[in-house]
Amino acid sequence: MLPLKLLFRDWRGGELALIATALVLAVTCVTAIAHFTDRLARAMEQQSLTFLAAERVLRSSRPVDPAWLQEARDRGLLQAEAVQFASMVAAGDQFQFAAVKAVGAGYPLLGELEMRDTEEGPSHRVKQGPAPGETWVEPRLLPLLQLQLGESLQLGDTSLRISGLLEREPDRGTSFFDMGARVLVHLDDLPASGVIQPGSRVRYRYLFAGDDEALDRYFEWLKPQLTEHQRVIDLKEGQPRVARALERAESFLFLAGSLAVLLASVAVGLAARRYSLRHTAYVAVMKSLGAGRDKVLAIYLGQLAALTLIATAAGLLLGSLIQSQAVNLMADFFPAQPPPSHWSPLIVGLATGFDCALGFAVAPLFRLARTDPMQTLRRDWSNPDRREWLGLVLGPTSMLLLIWWLSGSLAITAALFAGMALLVGGAALVNRLLVRGRLASIGGAWRIALGSLQRRAAFNTLLIAAFGTGLLAMLALVFARTALIDEWRMQLPDKAPNHFLMNIAPHEVDGLDQMLFDKGVASTEIYPMVRGRLVAINGVPAKEYEKSAGGERVGALRRELNLSWTENLAPDNRILEGDWWDKTDEGVSVEVELAARLKLALGDVLRFSIGGLEVEAPVASFRSLDWNSMRPNFYMLFAPGTLEDFPATYITSFYLPPQQKLLVNDLVRNFPSVSVIELDKIIQRIRDTIDQVSLAIESVMALMLVAGVLVLVAGVRASIAERLQEAAIIRTLGGRRRLLLQSLLLEFGLLGIAAGLLAAAGAEATLAVLSQRVFELPFMFHPLLWLLGPIVGALLVGSAGTLACRSSVSQPPLKVLRELA
Amino acid sequence: MSAMLRAENLHHRVATSEGPLTLLNNISLQLARGESLAITGASGSGKSTLLGLLAGLDKPSDGRIWLAGEEITALDEEQRAALRARCVGFVFQTFQLLPGLTAQENVMLPSELRGERGAARRAEEFLARVGLGHRLHHYPRQLSGGEQQRVAIARAFASFAGDDGILFADEPTGSLDAGNGDKVIDLLFKLNAESNTTLVLVTHEQRLAERCGAHLRMAAGSIEAGDSGSALAEVSA
Repeated sequence: MLPLKLLFRDWRGGELALIATALVLAVTCVTAIAHFTDRLARAMEQQSLTFLAAERVLRSSRPVDPAWLQEARDRGLLQAEAVQFASMVAAGDQFQFAAVKAVGAGYPLLGELEMRDTEEGPSHRVKQGPAPGETWVEPRLLPLLQLQLGESLQLGDTSLRISGLLEREPDRGTSFFDMGARVLVHLDDLPASGVIQPGSRVRYRYLFAGDDEALDRYFEWLKPQLTEHQRVIDLKEGQPRVARALERAESFLFLAGSLAVLLASVAVGLAARRYSLRHTAYVAVMKSLGAGRDKVLAIYLGQLAALTLIATAAGLLLGSLIQSQAVNLMADFFPAQPPPSHWSPLIVGLATGFDCALGFAVAPLFRLARTDPMQTLRRDWSNPDRREWLGLVLGPTSMLLLIWWLSGSLAITAALFAGMALLVGGAALVNRLLVRGRLASIGGAWRIALGSLQRRAAFNTLLIAAFGTGLLAMLALVFARTALIDEWRMQLPDKAPNHFLMNIAPHEVDGLDQMLFDKGVASTEIYPMVRGRLVAINGVPAKEYEKSAGGERVGALRRELNLSWTENLAPDNRILEGDWWDKTDEGVSVEVELAARLKLALGDVLRFSIGGLEVEAPVASFRSLDWNSMRPNFYMLFAPGTLEDFPATYITSFYLPPQQKLLVNDLVRNFPSVSVIELDKIIQRIRDTIDQVSLAIESVMALMLVAGVLVLVAGVRASIAERLQEAAIIRTLGGRRRLLLQSLLLEFGLLGIAAGLLAAAGAEATLAVLSQRVFELPFMFHPLLWLLGPIVGALLVGSAGTLACRSSVSQPPLKVLRELA
Repeated sequence: MSAMLRAENLHHRVATSEGPLTLLNNISLQLARGESLAITGASGSGKSTLLGLLAGLDKPSDGRIWLAGEEITALDEEQRAALRARCVGFVFQTFQLLPGLTAQENVMLPSELRGERGAARRAEEFLARVGLGHRLHHYPRQLSGGEQQRVAIARAFASFAGDDGILFADEPTGSLDAGNGDKVIDLLFKLNAESNTTLVLVTHEQRLAERCGAHLRMAAGSIEAGDSGSALAEVSA
């Protein structure tokens, strides 16, 4: 009871407010971020799963055993079906090749279809496909078939009324089955149409959704029964680009959460240190009155436990309120209806509260309990016990463990540790340099400021490290966010090619090129393409080679590859080893990752089988390329002349703005054999998702910046009391208020510059590790960081410190001295 | 009369960067229950150090001390604290009231540390005895220096769990003006006589030292002169 009584009495006296505020701040920040990221991550995951229209998809080239589907339903899973194939559709004497998709009840399990039921009206979202006897088609199909909405088209033997215009479907892909304008029909109409015959090229997609665990168990049961014609697709496989973006976003959000813990811990540490110093006199008196060390420890640990509980509860409540407000405010930006709050962020908040308190506040309390009662007689309240090893070990260890747990990433933890170690080591060094300045020749405010820095050298090391941590967190976050978002945007630049043209016959190349030119559409280079199989390496048949090279299964040996040749290296291609065709005129340039999987060396001879004939070519170079560039790219690029005798088709890609969409119809009409792959809608969806993720990241970052500023305030507050007394004495001796304010500005400004420089170094180190290990981005040096660090440091710390001390400097000195006595 | 406080051949040295420094040198003394002793001397003569050792706040480098019949030099820190909680009261020069606690809560603290019931009532009684019955709920910052020292005296007397009380006062008038100082001293001696407690006080004031039964003057860590009055059974240097 005594600890609680004392806590209550102490609270009234205002002594515990700072440590409680720091704890509440810590828990609030972490809880809000954890809640927010949890809900956002789940919302984004839901959104991304709509790319599949399900949580998992079983893809098959034949209908699967109905018992499998029954089993899924028996296990409580939702299940729907889609059948895709390419077919001619007709209206009168107009025929058009279309990408037909027949969907059953329940489709889409996740996500929505976007359609219009009038030609000019607004589109709306629906959760089911067309009814039997009806069809929804892509708008551009209507002029091709010379039809109006409401009229019928012919699919095989059945006539279907066009009841809607399909604007968007969640799981539109880029495969053969998605080439051509989409015609969406009901599954029940398929048998009557008679379009699917034995031997037809058809893709069956079985969609599943439900409880994660039930899904996992079902697919564990199903997978052993699958044949080589069947594949299970989840988000990662379905949309690797989105999955990767999400993973990076998640890493970033966890980084932000970890930094919140770091900042909060520093704030608690500063507050606890101040609390312990201020209580040295208390404890000395209590010990004189007969309290032993154990009793003192019990009292203070009891107080800390109670305080932590109360502060954590308040932080959990506040954090939950803030995040729900943030989610409400951002409801429009959320990809989907934000899922309800989960309980797990509360655990994170609770753990944070106790970790901060135990890690950073316990050590000062142990020191406090060792206070020498003789100090009451000596009237000396400095804490002579310099054994701070407990705090130095316990604080950072508990913080790093918590960050590891929060982020689940050793790399993030290591990055922060590296940044922090650099920062603390640097703080000690900078501080030494700072206090060695010669004072004799300078006067006025500078002299007071430098004198003050020299007197508090040890504490200033701590303060520089604390301010530096705050700045490090802010700088690292701002720059990581910029790198991440820029990288995403660079991956999908605004005018990235969004249409591919394939199967262009040689005689069509010039005409097609001219047509695109006439319409003002810039295409990438038009590449010839010959399909061939890699059958032997250095004379060893592919399968044997695969075994001898370590047995790793290489897909490229099992299918036909697109082989091409060109004189010009595409802008996203780079020769890493060997020579391009300006230096040699024979051989093949191999994509570097495939070369690594095949364990190829320059000069190895590759044999290809092309249309029954064989061609051999030595490996002339290894080449990196960017599959995300949306340009035609090839694993194998031959020297010009090598493959020219083989029959080739051509491929190109181009960017088509939405207002020129109908050009696709002209292309299809003028070059009927050319296949158009339309990626514009997919790219737009990916871009939307990335925009939402970016927005989320920016919101979380804003929260972190607030936390960073609060740490600065805590740091400044921790050092105020020590400065006030001196200020009061200088004022008593006739020092003017302006002189004191200038000296405060200088002192905090210098601390800010030192902290900012170190933060820049720490942030650079942190970013280096993060970009390579977490975000997998190339390392970049950030000169701006080094410029911004000291400037922001001086401005923030200087102004925060001066503002915090301003009112006290204005108070009558006698009042200050009496209060501090 | 049994000895309430006894010290034998006390030596105290501390390590400094310039080597060991002797603070006390071969001090012995004895004080019976209910008697009073004044320790005087110049600043740095070792009087506060001696007071701290006698009260069991620290252990001497050499020598033995008995307090209320127990040899405190043979006790560990926790045991000494327990003994202080039972029978030692302190009055400090700068009052040392806890600023976050009211006058009553400050006086309750020793009883609470002992885990006693009725601490509030007891504190009220003692505050009434020092004339502050009407200022129970005032914080130290709301009290004058003299009032704060009276609260500290009330707290010191509330520190005794039984009859074996010994009060250590370290320059109790050092922070007060002459008028307030006199009032505080009168009160201290009055309560001491009423409670039959033993009093050891460190002071610079000759006037105050003369009110004690025994007087011990220190210089450079040694006893310079001892007044073998009724209270001081033995003083050796």
